Parts: sequence; C-alpha cells; structure tokens
Amino acid sequence: MATLAAIGLPAAILVRLFAAATALALARRPRACRGAALVGSMLASLLTVTTAVEVVASGHSVEGALFRHAASGTVFDYAVTPLSAWFLMVLEVIALPVALYSVAYFSHSLAASRTAVVGVAFNVLLASVEVVFVSSDVIAFLSAWEVMTLATTALVATEHQERASRRAAYLYLVMSHVGTGCLVTGFLVLAGHAGSLSFPVLLSGRVVSGPLRDGLFVLFFVGFGVKAGIIPVHVWLPEAHPAAPSSVSALMSAVLITAGIYGLYRVCAFGLGIPDQNWALAFMFAGMLSGILGVLYALTQTDLKRLLAYSTIENSGIIVLGLGAAMMAMSLERPALATAAVAASLTHVLNHAVFKGLLFLAAGSVVMATGTRQIELFGGLLKRMPWTGLFFLIGALAISGLPLLNGFPSEWLTFQALLLGFTATPGLVRLNFPLAGALLALTSALAAACFVRAFGIGFLALPRSSSASRAHESPLLMLVPQAFLAMLCVALGLLPGVTLSALDTVVVSLPGLQTTTSMADGALGMASGVGRFDYVVPGGFGLAVLGALLFVAAVTARRATAPRQVPTWACGGEVTARTEYTATAFSKPLLMIFKAVYRPRREVDALAEVSPYFPQEVRYRAEVEPTFERYIYAPLVRAVIRGAGAMRVLQAGSLHTYLAYVLVLAVVLLVWLGGTR
Amino acid sequence: MSAEAPFTIAAALLQAGGILAAAPLLKTVIKKMKARLQNRRGPPLLQGYYDLAKLLRKESVRSETASWVYAAGPRVYFAAVVAASTLVPVVVAAAPLEQTGGVLLLVGTLALGRFALATAALDTGSPFGGMGASRDMTIAALAEPALMLGLFASALAAGTMNLGVLVRGLVQQGPSWHPSDLLAFAGLFIIVIAETGRIPVDNPATHLELTMIHEAMVLEYAGPDLALVEWASAVKELVYLSLLVNLFMPIGIAMKLEPVALLVGLAAWAGKVSLLAVAVTLVESTNAKLRLFRVPELMAVSLGLAFLALAIRFL
Amino acid sequence: MTANVLTLCAAGMLVTAYLMVGQKALLTTIRLYGLQSLLLGLVAATIAIAESRPELLITAALTVTLKGILIPWFLMRTVDRIGIHREIEPFLNVPASLLICLGLTVVGYRVSTGFEQGARGVGHHLIGVALSLLLIGLFLMVTRKKAITQILALLTVENAVFLVAVGVTSGMPLIVELGISFDVILAVLVLGVLVQRIVGRFESMDVSRLSQLKG
Repeated sequence: MATLAAIGLPAAILVRLFAAATALALARRPRACRGAALVGSMLASLLTVTTAVEVVASGHSVEGALFRHAASGTVFDYAVTPLSAWFLMVLEVIALPVALYSVAYFSHSLAASRTAVVGVAFNVLLASVEVVFVSSDVIAFLSAWEVMTLATTALVATEHQERASRRAAYLYLVMSHVGTGCLVTGFLVLAGHAGSLSFPVLLSGRVVSGPLRDGLFVLFFVGFGVKAGIIPVHVWLPEAHPAAPSSVSALMSAVLITAGIYGLYRVCAFGLGIPDQNWALAFMFAGMLSGILGVLYALTQTDLKRLLAYSTIENSGIIVLGLGAAMMAMSLERPALATAAVAASLTHVLNHAVFKGLLFLAAGSVVMATGTRQIELFGGLLKRMPWTGLFFLIGALAISGLPLLNGFPSEWLTFQALLLGFTATPGLVRLNFPLAGALLALTSALAAACFVRAFGIGFLALPRSSSASRAHESPLLMLVPQAFLAMLCVALGLLPGVTLSALDTVVVSLPGLQTTTSMADGALGMASGVGRFDYVVPGGFGLAVLGALLFVAAVTARRATAPRQVPTWACGGEVTARTEYTATAFSKPLLMIFKAVYRPRREVDALAEVSPYFPQEVRYRAEVEPTFERYIYAPLVRAVIRGAGAMRVLQAGSLHTYLAYVLVLAVVLLVWLGGTR
Repeated sequence: MSAEAPFTIAAALLQAGGILAAAPLLKTVIKKMKARLQNRRGPPLLQGYYDLAKLLRKESVRSETASWVYAAGPRVYFAAVVAASTLVPVVVAAAPLEQTGGVLLLVGTLALGRFALATAALDTGSPFGGMGASRDMTIAALAEPALMLGLFASALAAGTMNLGVLVRGLVQQGPSWHPSDLLAFAGLFIIVIAETGRIPVDNPATHLELTMIHEAMVLEYAGPDLALVEWASAVKELVYLSLLVNLFMPIGIAMKLEPVALLVGLAAWAGKVSLLAVAVTLVESTNAKLRLFRVPELMAVSLGLAFLALAIRFL
Repeated sequence: MTANVLTLCAAGMLVTAYLMVGQKALLTTIRLYGLQSLLLGLVAATIAIAESRPELLITAALTVTLKGILIPWFLMRTVDRIGIHREIEPFLNVPASLLICLGLTVVGYRVSTGFEQGARGVGHHLIGVALSLLLIGLFLMVTRKKAITQILALLTVENAVFLVAVGVTSGMPLIVELGISFDVILAVLVLGVLVQRIVGRFESMDVSRLSQLKG
C-alpha cells in the first residue's frame, strides 16, 4: 500500500493521458472511444483515491516528482498534503460515478463526431485538476490551472452549433483569464519577494507584510473567486454549467468549484500569514452574499440546469462563509474555534459535491428523456422514471439541509462555527455572526422552497408536454452511479462522525490550527464546543422517526379495502396540465417579496380583434433583471471596448509602420538599458 | 448510553404518546375560547377526538394523478412532528431524546415535515395544492431566520443549544427577567403564530382560495390521510407552545422523577400552555388576517425583535 | 593575429551591411548577404582554431554552406523567376539612409561598452558590430518596400545575433545551432514561396501595398 501511494498520483495522470491518446486514436469508433476514455478515467480515479485515502488516514504527505527535464532544469514536484488529499478524495468520489454514468449518457446524447473530443477533454480536465491540487511550485500550478480552463472551455463548447454554448464558452474563457491574470500577478509579486517559485517557501506566510499583503489578498481572492463562483465574479457559472453535457456539468459543479476553494484555502487563508480581521469579514460578507443571492436567483429559474448552477453558487457561498469564520478565529488567535469552522467548511465541500453530483446526474437523465431543460415542460416524471425521481428527491432533501441526509451535518457544523464565533469575538464586529446565522437560515429555507418547486413541478402531477409524457427510465448504467451517490448521501448524513474523524489529520496539517477537531462523537454523533455546547446524533433521531412511522402504519393499517382512486376535483372542470400550478407561479410570492433584489419587469399584452373585452390571446412576459450583468459587467465591457477603440490609431495597417515601431523600441531599449552603465 | 437505552425509549414513547393524546384537546380548547369570545358556545371539548376517530374510520380517497409521494407526505409529516416532540422538555426538565440533538435538529425536523407535506401537495395536479405549497414555503422561509435568532438568543445566554440542559440551567438559575427575554419571547410568539397557521398569518377555518395557506396544502386529503395531517398539526402547535413556555417560564417544571414533582410539573405545564392558548386566542380574535404580502413585514418585525434580543444581551 | 582577423571580418560584415543599404539592384544585394555570411563563417572558424573548439568548425561549415551559398542561390533563383531585378524608391533616399545607419552604428558601439566583454578589445568590436548590424537590419526592414529586401534584412538580423553568440559567449549548444539553422532555412523557403504568391496576386513585390493589416 505504501508503494502504491507513492506512485499513485503520477500513475493516475499517466493513465489519464494514455486514455486521452487512445480516445483520440479511436476517434472513428465512438463505442471504443467512449470505453477507452471513460474506463481509463475510472481506473485513474481509483488510483488517485487510494493515494488520497492513504494520506488522509495516515496524515503523512506523499511527495515526489511529476516531471523532470535535466537539460532545461525544469522540475515539477508534487506534494499530496492532507488538505490536497481531501480535495482529491472529493474529486474522485464524484469523478467515478460520473464516468460510469457517461458511458451510457454519451452514447445517447452526444453526437458520434464529438465523442473523441469530449473523451479527451474529460481526462485532460481531471488530470489538470489533480495536478492543481498537488503541485508544489508556481509554474506547475499555473500551467495546470490554465489547462483546466482550456479543457473546461472545450467541454462547455461541445454543442458549439448553439449560439448560447458559444457565448457561454467565450464568457467562461474571458472571466477565467481575468482570474488567472490576477493569480499570475499575485504569484509573481510573491515570488519576487520570496526569491523562489516553490510553494513551501512562497506560502509560508512570512514573505510579505503590510498593505502589500492586503493587495495580494485581494488579487488572490478575485483570482480564485472566479473559479469558485463567488458573487460578483460568478456570471459565467449560470451560462457555462448548463451548456456542458450533463455529466460534465456534475463534474464542473462539484469539482471546478473545489479548485477555486482549494486556492482560497491554500493561499488566502493559510498562505499569506495570519489573516487580517478585515479579510475574514470580506470572506464572510462574500459568502453570505453568494449564498442568499444564489438561492434567490435559483428560485426564479425555469431551466433545470441553470437552477442547479445558481444553487452551486449558493453552496459555494456557504463554504466560503465557513472559511471566513475560520479566518476570523485565526485573526483572534482562537485555534479551537478555527478548527471547528474549517471542519464545517471542508465537510460541506464533500457533502455539496455528493448531492450536487447526484442532482446533476438525475437532471441529465431527465433532460435526456424529455429532450428539454425547461421545468415548465416536465411533469409526471415520477411515474415514468421512478428511480431517477427517487434519486432526485434524495438529492433535493439533502441540499435543503434536512436531517438524516448529508446536508444537515455540514449546516449544523457551520451554525456551530458561527455561534461559537459569536461568543468568542469581542466588540461590535461580533454581530456579524448572528447576522450570518440568520442569513444562513434564510438561505437554507429558501433552498428547501426551491427544491420543493423543482421536484414538485418537475416530477409530480400530470405531464405538461408531450415529450414529458413520452419519457422513459434511463438505462441501468446511468442509474447505478446515482444510486451510489444517493446511498452516500444517506450514509454521510447518518454517520457524520466518520467524516469529522477523517478530517482530523487534514486539520492538524494546516498551519496555526489546533490538533483535531474533537467534534466527532463516535461514528454517529457530533458534539461541539467546550462543555458540549451542542450535540447531535442524526442516526439516533432517525430511529425515532422510524418508530413514529411504524406507529402511523399501525394506526392506518386496518384497511380492508385499498384506497379509492378518483380524478382530482378541479372545480367541475377537467384536470389537465393547464390547471396545474407552474414553476413561475410557485416562486411568484418570493419574487414579489424580494422585489428589491430581483427588480422584475412584467409585460402583459391582450390581443383582441373584435373588442378589448373579448381578447383572443393574452401574452405574458416576466423578466428578472440581471443586476450584475447590467450594472457591473456591461459598463465594464463598454469601457474596455471604448479604450481599445481609442488605441486603434496605433494600428495603421501598414507593415512598415509596425516594423518602425519595433526599430524605435529596440533603439530606445538598447540606449536606456545598455548604454547607461 | 446503551444501558439507558430502554429507559430513554420508554420515556420517549411516554412523552410522544402523551403529547399525541393531549394535542387535539388543545385545538378544541382554542376553538371553544374563540367561540366564547364570539358569543357562541363552541364545540364540546372532546370534539377533536371525535373528529380524528371519524376520519380514521373513513375510506381513504386518493387522486389518480398522484404517485406514492402523495401518500407519503402526511406520514412523513406526522413522523417528523412526533419525533420532534421528543426533543422538547414538557413536564420534566429534560427531553427524552435530548442526547440526539437540540435546537437545530428540532428546527430541521419540522422543516423536513413541511418539505414532505408541501411536495405532496403538488402531486394531485390541483392548483390549490400548488398555491398552498408555494405560500407555505414562502412564509416558512421568512419565518426561519427569526425562529433561529430567537432560539439562538436563549441558547447563547444559557451557553448550550441542548434544550434539556438549557431548561435545567434556567430552573437552577432562578427567575430572572432580562429585557432580552421579553423581546425574544415576543419575536418567537409571532413565529409560533406563523408556523401554526393562525390569524393574522393564516386562517385555519377558511377554505376560500384567497385566504388559504396551510389549508390549501391539505385540501385534497381525506380519511386517514387527513386524520394524520390534522393530528400532526395539533401536535406541532402543542410542541411549539410547550417550547415557548419552558424556555421563558420554566416555573414548576419537574426537576426530579418523583410522583409529587411530576404531578406539579404536569399541572404547571397544563396551566402555562392554557395561558399561552388564551394569548393565542386573543390574538386571533382581535386581529384580522393579513394580506399575504403584508406577512413579510410581520416576519421582519419578528426578526428585528429577535436580533434586538441578541444585541441587548451581548453588547 | 586572431584578434586582427576577427576585427577585420567584423568590419567587413559592417561594410557589406552599408553596401546593402546603398544598393538598388536586388541580385547584388543578395550577393552582399552571401559575402556577409561567408565572413561570419570565417569568424566562427577563426575562433574555433584559436580556442581549439572543434564543434565551432561544424558551426562555421554550416554557416558557410547554408547562409553563404544555399540561401543566396535560392533567393537569386526566386528573383529570376519573378523577373523583378531592381528595388523601387525606398521611403528614405540613400544619403539619408546612410546617415541614419551611421547613427545606429554609433548607438551600437556605445551600447556595447555597457557589457563586460564589450568594453575593450576584440569583444568591443564584435558586440558593437553585431548590435549595429541588428539595428541596420531592422532599419532596412522599415524603409524598404520589396519583400526580398525585407527577407534579407531579417537574415542580417539573424547574422548579428549569431555573431554575438559565437564571438563573445562560449557559443550555443550544437543542438540549438542546428535548430536555428533549420529555422532559418524554413523561414526563407516559406518567405520565398510567399513572395512568389504576392507577386502572382498583386503583380508587384511592393509590400507597402499591404495596408489592410488592422482589425
């Protein structure tokens, strides 16, 4: 086992590259291509997860070299620290089922000509993310980061004949590069001060101080925040995630977000020295904003995958909120509290990946079966796709943070971190914590409403379109991964102590934190704080619920006859799909209550030929204002284009002018740099 | 823990059973008091039990368009609420299942029940169900921050989120009336009105489309399904009132498991809950139901009260 | 003795560059470039013998063969094929161009004093000449209109870089040498084809007609 861990990661990357090459070679045979790419990916995932579990279990990092070129002197070392191992575990726990799911999914909904590209990009993406998590110097990190961006763009642009896909890919590319630009600047400044490009030196926290440190923090926050989907640099997420094939969306939501989160952890929280209180407040504020706005926008979406994308923004906000609480604790030198908050945040990284992956896979099945992404055209799918519906329901329950599933423990932990933070922080600034707690409560309640809407309108009652009525269940290969993730949701929800115990080694390895969270109470329970401030045993409570259910069964069991099935009463008329509540109607009260956020616009046209009192047709159009796009990004883009236009005069069009530029520049540089000695 | 397990289970069953038995009485008492205030005689005190028995005997009618979710909704709702009732100290200054969770688990479980009921309401294809689900989830979402903050105020003051430990601490500390307690109580009282679907937030006696919220969600149920929903709503109300009563006025609660203490505790609980029921009745009878879009303002008031409670105590 | 040879060759290269500036006939310009490359090969060979570095002899041989003989032959063939033998009026007339080249030479020599090896002696001349050649090459590119002349200017710049590398540093690794040589060959081939296409399309080699190079 020890030797396997030592070579696990490079072996996995090699397997992935080999799988990608094979997929490319087999481009003419879609079935073989798919098999090669995805089976290779699954094999590599197994290798990586073995390494990661080994590191998390033992607490010892595994280090080695990825690439050495003696002639030029380039060395790409890697170090699987416990933190990296945790993120690798999260990655592979999702990548495995997604790959299995894709075997059947790609055969049904991907054009044969695109299979090779998607297979290659899939493996390259996973390989680059793995390298991002484990690289220990700047060049390797940034190269892998860039490859990750490019691979994702290729995947987002799979349906490049659709204008929306092209736009989404372009937007993603631009925003990622803005983020990467910030990262490059930040790293170069750090490297200039530290005199080295390797992470252990660069991120030791003793390199820079003062306003420069704050400036670097902002750069890295923006750079990593783009990938993590933090408001306000989130605008690419709702466009890009829906445009990719559904299994890839699952990967993106679960995995790419974690790459950004990993960066925030590694650099902003633990790499620039003891965090400043203002940084912690910035994190908490950004987290709260992302959480509440993410779920508010999710509530108004009728595109299922966009809804899930906004929900990802919300959960990303919760993770960042936990990290912010940890940073606040670190700035006040309370390691125990910081430990608790970090545990909350990292647990949510895992739990979010699991239930979001499940939701996206189920959504992918639904989209494949009905041919559309619009919730308003679904309906009655639970009867036609019973298993997919059940899995979506489990995912919906989990994401709403309801007890017995895995959303509850991470939310519980975040609340603990906030409450304990409140008691530990002095001064007026402590009021941020109950504010954050209230917003977190609001966010999770709104998330519950959002997913009642998504599941209820999408899967229940009558089909709202012919495509929904023709839907049928997915093949077994697509159901098995969903079942796996659903069971994982239940297991992680009932055994939260296991997750917490596993996190012990990770938390110990982070600089400045106390040993172990000591929050796990056996496998089943969690306890927090000094003197047991709060504790919870979801499993034990689950038994109580089970007992109550048995009582119910007993009370209602003495039926001689089966329940009578009758049509729903529709006030004397016929029950059709038109009399059902729509998704837009469901979220209308919230739309009106949160008018200030949404700024909705409504147009109602009544078309009448004979008389306005007898309209032929009524047209209704409601629109939620895209605040960020309209008020931040559009002016920014306009300013950039105006600036570029102003610089156009330099582009004279003549070859000789350009050459003259080169000559003048060469002379000036030579005189300035060379002659001044 | 495993040695005490049979004892815990017995206590849980006893408390759950007791609350199940007492809940319909509470509902009828409130109805009767309201009737008296309106110069009517009102239903007999045991009417709640008669109604439940009648419903349980009836045939169960289900919609053709619905799936298994429709039948599961009332059952999960009932199970969640009854399980939640074992987390709250009622007669004794301890909750049977207090070792399994505190405030957060309680709120979460009630949310689970609500999720189940709201989802099931969408299953019949009737617009009433959708409307009820939409409105109920909206109001619940707005109520949740205030509920959390109010409970946090008490919990943080006592230094624990575990309800049993909290109440025991309060009793040992003796009576003390910090202004923050009053603010928190006021805020939580408003939330209880909202969560139990009483005027001014919702009218439990109406079946008009414009005024239904909770009733709209359960409009399509009949027979045993309806019995489960009605019973669970009554239990939820009793749980909320008991929680409120024991968090802010824990006088008379039994600290020891002796017969005298238990009897005193039972009497105290019954008396305090009745007092609170009178308060609920008065609020219901003297207010008109708010328009749906005025309810958020009420929730904001509650949130402000809870936030103030926290601020005053800790700043 | 070596120093004298080197200085002489460097000076010779500079003279060829000046003559290129003053030339109107394309074939002569190409021959001047060939001469320049031969001188460069001579420099490399001298250093190889003086400092007993046999690998530099290979480099010298490569330079002479490729840049001194092959490329000029290829370019002359291209010119014959196209049939245009004279440069048209450049942007700057010859006396003005020569004056500017003088200025650029001064700059080159001045800058070379800023380098350690270029402060005195042979190194001073080698670096000075190299930098001057570089700047003159660039200048040629800016002021000439015919594509062939521009190719020659580019090749001059490349010669300048090579001169510095060979004369002052310990030379580039052989593999880099080979790489660059093949690079140059390829570039010339491609440019030659391109020129033929330009002429075929526009009936003229006048690059100043390419005025649409903007977004």
